[in-house]
Amino acid sequence: MRSHEEIKSSLGAWLDGELAAAEAAEIQLHVQGCASCLGEKARLEKLESSLKNVLETEASQIAFEPFWAGVRRRIAEEKSWRARGLDWARDFLTLPRLAWAIPVAALVIWFGVFSSWDWPFNSTNQAAVESIDGHGYNVALLREAKTKTAVIWVFDNQESEDDSATTPAAAESAF
Amino acid sequence: METSEWDLIRKCQQGEVAAYEELAAKYYRRVFMVILGMVHHRDDAMDVAQETFYRAFKNIKRFKGGSNFYTWLYRIAVNLAIDFQRRQKRGSVDLKENMDDVVVETETLGSDPYREVSDRRLGEKLIGAIAELTPDHKAVIVMRAVEGLSYKEIGRIMGCSEGTIMSRLHYARKKLQEKLGSDL
Repeated sequence: MRSHEEIKSSLGAWLDGELAAAEAAEIQLHVQGCASCLGEKARLEKLESSLKNVLETEASQIAFEPFWAGVRRRIAEEKSWRARGLDWARDFLTLPRLAWAIPVAALVIWFGVFSSWDWPFNSTNQAAVESIDGHGYNVALLREAKTKTAVIWVFDNQESEDDSATTPAAAESAF
Repeated sequence: METSEWDLIRKCQQGEVAAYEELAAKYYRRVFMVILGMVHHRDDAMDVAQETFYRAFKNIKRFKGGSNFYTWLYRIAVNLAIDFQRRQKRGSVDLKENMDDVVVETETLGSDPYREVSDRRLGEKLIGAIAELTPDHKAVIVMRAVEGLSYKEIGRIMGCSEGTIMSRLHYARKKLQEKLGSDL
């Protein structure tokens, strides 16, 4: 058997229909014979109905059209942001713009492999020259094993102007 | 979930804004009421409610139908309203100015002068009292009063247990009763 105070503190949950059947029956029986709990029940009911009434009155003044216009504007802004992003990506990733990236990426990978891995042939000095076709430049990579120094050198491909020089400069294995 | 509502959701997931407009028309007032109960200021509530529907549309592909759509929508709304309150921390002056319109409107609709005055005073005090609750307490009392959601549903929205919801509701009601005193 629960006390008056315990029942009073459970009135809210009881009104919300959140108690087990046995507990709810006990509270109902108590409330029928308790003026204090009956008053508390009425106050709780008035509290919630007043709150709902105030908010419903306010919400009833909100028309859908201006509300939806605000939502639609946000959606449209999001779409235009996405469209802008796609345009940028499309421009950036087109073939002509990627031309610069291919030799640079190859060089970076090559440099990364040869400088950080402990290859057996890493104990020797190395030099290599690559041409960047269509750009009129050569890239030279010079690496000294003892000091672990690497030099990347980009220079004009003088021979490219000369039709007779069709082969790129030969790579050398040591210097 | 109703078939027609699920159909609308599927269309929204394919990017159909027109289908989303139908869903928004169905729920916007209910979402607005919950948010207004938490942020109190009409313009702020409008802004948060619009942001709620925008975020819901943006993320609607993540909605798999495991819960009711409105539960999912309310979760977004309540989280945004709580975030908003923590950022803004508006004073009660805005609230009173804003809610004066509401109680006046209620007055014009009534026919019993004594009750009108009494309701107006109660409305003012009630809103003032709710403003003093914490965001979490506001959320539970408003969702329960406005929507009559079960503790389980509120718990799912708030990400906490039914016991926590029961405890928060009890505390919020007690605080409101203390503030309202003899007006109830």
